[in-house]
Amino acid sequence: MSRLELFVVVVAVVNVAVVLEFVRRRKLAEGFALLWIGVGLAGVALSLARPVFDAVARAVGVSYGPSLLFTLALLFLLFVCMSLSLHVSRLSSRTEILAEEVAFLRAAQEPTVDHR
Amino acid sequence: MHRRRAGKDTVLSELLVVIPALDEEATVGDVVRAAREHIGGSVLVVDDGSVDETAAVALAAGATVVRHPFNLGVGAAVRSGLRYASEHGYTAVLQLDADGQHDPSDGRRLVERLHEDSADIVVGTRFGGNYRVRGLRRLGMRTLAKVVSTRLGTRLTDTTSGYRAFGKRAVDRLSRTYPSVYLSDTVEVLLMAGDWGFRVVEEPVHMHPRKGGRPSSGPALSTVNFLRLVLVIVLHDIRRPMSRRGGP
Repeated sequence: MSRLELFVVVVAVVNVAVVLEFVRRRKLAEGFALLWIGVGLAGVALSLARPVFDAVARAVGVSYGPSLLFTLALLFLLFVCMSLSLHVSRLSSRTEILAEEVAFLRAAQEPTVDHR
Repeated sequence: MHRRRAGKDTVLSELLVVIPALDEEATVGDVVRAAREHIGGSVLVVDDGSVDETAAVALAAGATVVRHPFNLGVGAAVRSGLRYASEHGYTAVLQLDADGQHDPSDGRRLVERLHEDSADIVVGTRFGGNYRVRGLRRLGMRTLAKVVSTRLGTRLTDTTSGYRAFGKRAVDRLSRTYPSVYLSDTVEVLLMAGDWGFRVVEEPVHMHPRKGGRPSSGPALSTVNFLRLVLVIVLHDIRRPMSRRGGP
């Protein structure tokens, strides 16, 4: 195992460990936990199976293995960004609804219109 | 007010029937009326962000209605019901589906078993009667039942049933911590009960064919949900228990 490979494996393992710790502390919801555990395991697998990956790259017509890896990683990150954007959009529309609910509840409790 | 006894110790005024409902205007009225007739106690419908007339229909049928401002999922609806019960001094909760598939006349038995068996949770098993599942679904349900039974040290055959009775201890403890991940909630809550040393028993219930609404999910979504459920079970051991306030 080259020094570079060792480095990549260590990074991937640390990644998995950090994800599991967040899951353990219940800071990550189940759906996201599944995603990031998958990412961590894929990282370990890819760093160990470099020859296999090179073969796959050649098979699909990419001459330099790592550039296929970069392309896939980039696409995956775009996908994650998109899904996070969707989540944030949903959360912000829910916040608006909640704020409206609170406003109406408050109005019902302490009438703001003065009828004197 | 005229009180009847549901079980040895539960006066009906201490029982809250909790019915989580999402867009079930076609059936929720009949379910509420049947629950009032066959089970007694108070009936609470938790409207989980319906866009139809579920809340109005439930109210007209004589239920108390709590409405979520948007859809939060069945687990959250059950948690709201348990929290309502805990905060209003109810000592037992019967959870019942709004789509009419659960027979309200089984409800009283579930509540009685809380006392007969000094149980904290009574699960209504659908395999006691006319309910049949096939293929992968059957395999999945059996595997779940086996895993959960082993961990709890009690034989359970149907771990995803949403027809359940909760005793006082379970109501209070789960009123903040009932999990809300879709489908996993029914199984995870049993694992939590196991951690707390709660006694869980099961009682056969009958299933009616669906009268209105739509089935919860197709095969593809079921598979995703099942995988998430497996994750929840696997992670359960390494995860910190939820705090008593709920959340991390």
